[in-house]
Amino acid sequence: MRELTVSYDTPLGAVRAADRISFGLRAGERLGFAGESGSGKSTVALAILRMIQPPGRIEGGEVRLDGVDLLSLADEDMRRVRLARIALIPQGSMNALNPVLRIGDQIIDALRDHEIRMSARERDARVRELLESVGLRSEVAEMFPHELSGGMKQRACIAIAISLRPRVIIADEPTSALDVVVQKQVMETLARVQKDLGASVILVGHDMGLMAQFVDRLGIMYAGRLIEASPVRAILTRSLHPYTRMLIASLPSLEQKGTFNGIPGLIPLLRDLPPGCAFHPRCPDAVDRCRTERPGLREVRPDTWAACHLV
Amino acid sequence: MGYLRRNLSLVVGIALLSALGLFVIIGHLVVDTSKSRPLSAPAVQAPSLAHPFGTDRQGRDLFATMVAGTPLTLRIGFIAGMLGVGIGAILGFASAYYRGRLDAVVRGVVDIGLTVPGLLVLILIAVSLRRGLTVNQMAIIVASLAWLNPARTIRAQVLSLRERGYVEVARLSGMSGSEIIVKELMPNLLPYLAATLVNSVSSAILASIGLEVLGLGPIDSPTLGMTLYWVNFNAALINGWWWWWTAPITIILVVFLGLFFLTVGLDEIANPRLRRVI
Amino acid sequence: MTTLLEARHATRIFDGGYFDRTSTLALDDFSLAIDGDRPSIIAVVGESGSGKTTLARLLLGLTSPTQGQILYKGQELQTMSRAVWRAFRRDVQVIFQDPYGVYNPFYRIDHVLTTPITKFGLAASRAEARASIDGVLRAVGLRPEETLGRFAHQLSGGQRQRIMVARALLLRPRVILADEPVSMVDASLRATILASLRTMNRDLGISIVYITHDLATAYQISDTIVVLYRGSVVEIGDVELVVKRPQHPYTQLLLSSIPLASPERTWMTEKPSTPVAATETIDHGCKFAGRCPSVAASCRESAPSLFQTDRDRAVACYLYRDAPTVTGDHRQPGRSR
Repeated sequence: MRELTVSYDTPLGAVRAADRISFGLRAGERLGFAGESGSGKSTVALAILRMIQPPGRIEGGEVRLDGVDLLSLADEDMRRVRLARIALIPQGSMNALNPVLRIGDQIIDALRDHEIRMSARERDARVRELLESVGLRSEVAEMFPHELSGGMKQRACIAIAISLRPRVIIADEPTSALDVVVQKQVMETLARVQKDLGASVILVGHDMGLMAQFVDRLGIMYAGRLIEASPVRAILTRSLHPYTRMLIASLPSLEQKGTFNGIPGLIPLLRDLPPGCAFHPRCPDAVDRCRTERPGLREVRPDTWAACHLV
Repeated sequence: MGYLRRNLSLVVGIALLSALGLFVIIGHLVVDTSKSRPLSAPAVQAPSLAHPFGTDRQGRDLFATMVAGTPLTLRIGFIAGMLGVGIGAILGFASAYYRGRLDAVVRGVVDIGLTVPGLLVLILIAVSLRRGLTVNQMAIIVASLAWLNPARTIRAQVLSLRERGYVEVARLSGMSGSEIIVKELMPNLLPYLAATLVNSVSSAILASIGLEVLGLGPIDSPTLGMTLYWVNFNAALINGWWWWWTAPITIILVVFLGLFFLTVGLDEIANPRLRRVI
Repeated sequence: MTTLLEARHATRIFDGGYFDRTSTLALDDFSLAIDGDRPSIIAVVGESGSGKTTLARLLLGLTSPTQGQILYKGQELQTMSRAVWRAFRRDVQVIFQDPYGVYNPFYRIDHVLTTPITKFGLAASRAEARASIDGVLRAVGLRPEETLGRFAHQLSGGQRQRIMVARALLLRPRVILADEPVSMVDASLRATILASLRTMNRDLGISIVYITHDLATAYQISDTIVVLYRGSVVEIGDVELVVKRPQHPYTQLLLSSIPLASPERTWMTEKPSTPVAATETIDHGCKFAGRCPSVAASCRESAPSLFQTDRDRAVACYLYRDAPTVTGDHRQPGRSR
């Protein structure tokens, strides 16, 4: 992805939900996009799949999958890319299941939409195989969504997402509505299917603990901008950007009791961003340059990127 | 102003009703409304300068009749509509907020009442009151059933609102039930109540016209419905006295179209999801 | 010790309705006492279906127990007079989870602050009211000039939640029930709100019942912790003990399921985690029996009572049946009497 920019038209002017985002996803890698509200992380996920609806639009940039720019594809070609090459496990996907269709039928729906020709027996076998791979019993194919628990529904969504063996799986906050015990199972399922498929995963979320334990590389977003991107170990032990540092410091630990260190101030409204670096009003290390000049994302060390004047 | 430009229905509705209002006001200044009584003019005259809407078989000047009758019809509708929504709102709010036995009783009455064919009941009531009806009596008769629907719809709205966090916070802040209804719930329902009112007025006018056309209305009043009754009585259609029925029907059309657009416009204000922007 | 607010063997059963025979046991024989003399922070931790929200509503008097009692200063809530109810409403305040729905969209946010002042007669004049409001807003780290006069949708979730904390402060309560106060607030702002709660406890002597599913924040803020599973207490005691050396299998499962933001990747191991049984109805016996790795026959026969395994901790599990049973109600959380 290079210089991807997504804006939304509001009565008060255009607002940049994602501002010149650039990153690369390697095969088989787990990449995380972390950020708080308004950071633009979900926007980036939707933009990759060209699922941004008006009043939002992709203003510029390119998104290449195996060299092909997805943003320049015809609608019909893009439709074929969705699910078959890039799959999405949407936010609140438990509500993305059709309540009046059985789970098995919903999986078959996806297969049929992509003109996969199979005999009825082959189809049923494939459905059973998919359900097994996400740890669901084959009886689930005959069940309706409301008969399943939250975790089971989420795993059914994963089954649909992997049904066409995609190269990339985008998971947008897949576990935010789930209990912590169920969350672990769902993430374990996701890890397993990823390994089986050899696919890459983009995990979008706000839970830094989840990112720390699941992803290989992590990108931190703030106010629509990518402000740091590095291997996750580096971010946890030696983060570069003050926002990342303060964010990690604010996380409550289970090791020992300490003081509460929040980040003072407020996340800026996208339509009212401060000039220069978006974080400077809240940054304890801000200098004059931060107030006027917006820092670009630079490779500070090998494979370690940060958008800050001070590193 | 910008909002009005986007909410076309509201504008059209207000425009139509204002036009009607102007018609009545200017009409009252221009013509003598006593001419709406029989024997005021030569019978069955086609429209002319002296009688812009023509005259009917009993010698009524139809222009005067329309000018005098329109506000009467509207008044019936308005009184009945207001009474209907007023009673319906009180019962709707109370039963939805307090639940329990009050709710069970109101719900039962409304559910059963709504299944009974309203016009039939109104006819029976009108017939049994043998003496001549006045316009106000008409209004009350129509209102007697007009509260049922508002009670049900307002109750449904309040049922969902009462679960909101701010209602609980109000309770915990020491507010009493009636205070919560008036201060917390009602302001949020004002647009909805306005839309319901317009709806109610619309149905009330229709009901009253229906009764009048059947001959069960205030016989001596020049209301729109009564005019249509006389149109039927005198077979104006067959006799080719087109001016007699075009006038009231046009005005009725304007009334209903105006109220309809007004309802659609108010609905958009009441339901933010229908609004086109944030 | 003067007990301010207390739940005594409180049980809450929700009926299914006309067509549904099943009823849900939301809270089962729950007892807890909040000490008026020694203000502390008690965390009630559980997942969805644990009964923690039901507990909050019971303690606030928004619903009544099917069995057992909720007592305010020794009086059962149902039998209190109007005057006592008013005192109750002043002494026990709440912070809800959703920082948006608690604001009436018709009014500016000032409304939630002025209403209690008016209803409880907290200020003699407008100026006094304004001064109180300014004071509590500043106490939670907000600037009155930036917050008053605005509508809820013009403020961020963190700001809205802090205004709710300020509102709770206005009445100078003795107890604040915080029901997931930070779960819908951004991570960077959570710490500020939690710090306010802790300050209120330390400086103003307000007891806090912190209800959450997030063990990490519960650990950081509370002194005592109660772990709920399907409406029953499984472990209760000093928070350092329970979190560092959990004894109940469910507590252990809970702690091991939390992904930590640390460079060590121990969260997802090769062996799959305990299967989650689909909601099975449990008539008797330990509610966790279906998922417990240490389950034995006795576990399914009858539910274990609380065993006092440490001076400041009790566990409801037969693994510790050798420890003395907690006598009476476990009213003073974790502390042996």
